[in-house]
Amino acid sequence: MPTEQITEKSDTTAKGIPKILVVDDSPTLVKFVSYSLKSSGYEVVGACDGMDALEKVSHLESDIDLVITDLNMPNIDGYELIATLRQNDKFAEIPIIILSSEEGDEDKQKGEKVGATSYLVKPFKSSVLLAEVARLLD
Amino acid sequence: MMDKSIRVENSTKNIHAELRHLADSISQIIKGIRVAQEPIADSRNKVPQATEQLERVTQQTAMATHRVLDMVEAITGRDGEIETQMKELRRVLPSTYFRNNSRVKRIVERIGVNVSANQNDAYAIMDALQFQDITSQQVDHAISLLEQVENRLKDVMVGLQLDVSAESDVKRKERAYDPNAHFSSNSNEQSEVDKLLHNLTKEKQNN
Repeated sequence: MPTEQITEKSDTTAKGIPKILVVDDSPTLVKFVSYSLKSSGYEVVGACDGMDALEKVSHLESDIDLVITDLNMPNIDGYELIATLRQNDKFAEIPIIILSSEEGDEDKQKGEKVGATSYLVKPFKSSVLLAEVARLLD
Repeated sequence: MMDKSIRVENSTKNIHAELRHLADSISQIIKGIRVAQEPIADSRNKVPQATEQLERVTQQTAMATHRVLDMVEAITGRDGEIETQMKELRRVLPSTYFRNNSRVKRIVERIGVNVSANQNDAYAIMDALQFQDITSQQVDHAISLLEQVENRLKDVMVGLQLDVSAESDVKRKERAYDPNAHFSSNSNEQSEVDKLLHNLTKEKQNN
């Protein structure tokens, strides 16, 4: 089921508001994470898998400030997405958070190797996610 | 000479008896296969029904979860409005008003506490709704196992030269799931992740 693009802006002006890309093949997770981020004043772009994410970032006018991605996704998975983004100068330095139910050390190390900045295990508390986003964007 | 002839005759009788026994066994096996054909075919045909049913469960829980998320969003939106209105109230009232009306002050403070508690509860509800993502991964894993059973049954039918013409016309969804996904309190697991990433960063810095 393709995830609808969620581009919501908070009440303040769009300029200066961090834009966050949320990638997950679960529409529930995209909705939940998007809502948590929007209510904290971030702008959110949702994508249903790695391929959708790459397509969306290629069409965006402004830059993405942070990426939150799942690992297990059809078409292009989270690892491939991160590796692809890291090859692009625009995304070489931005923070990337992995959100996954995979708890094995192997997955975490693999994520770190391809260029993830942080790793959160599902299910997670929205307060933990928001604190991590704020820390990485600080 | 006579003995030899009797022995040959006996052997021939034995062979005939064995062949008759073999024929009976083959006939029994064929009967058995015929008996098994229907349940095997039936079981195989039921797998797509079971997967469809499970997919419907996922769709329905997703729909219900999204509805709850929308409602929680609406509730927190109204809470935000209340907070704004309270600020406005404080702004329009004279600065001495609350000092002179301690009861009203307590009521206003209580409203603020309740709004804040509602928002915390709303976040707790949203956190709990992640069960839908976790259970849908578990359902996808179950569907994948059922599809493996279906394929094994098909192999059995092909091996026994049974009719395998009844192909499933259900369009298979491409699945990406974590077979070990589970819904539990994971504060320990998260702290382990933090520790690991911290160590990896440290190692990187040292190198």
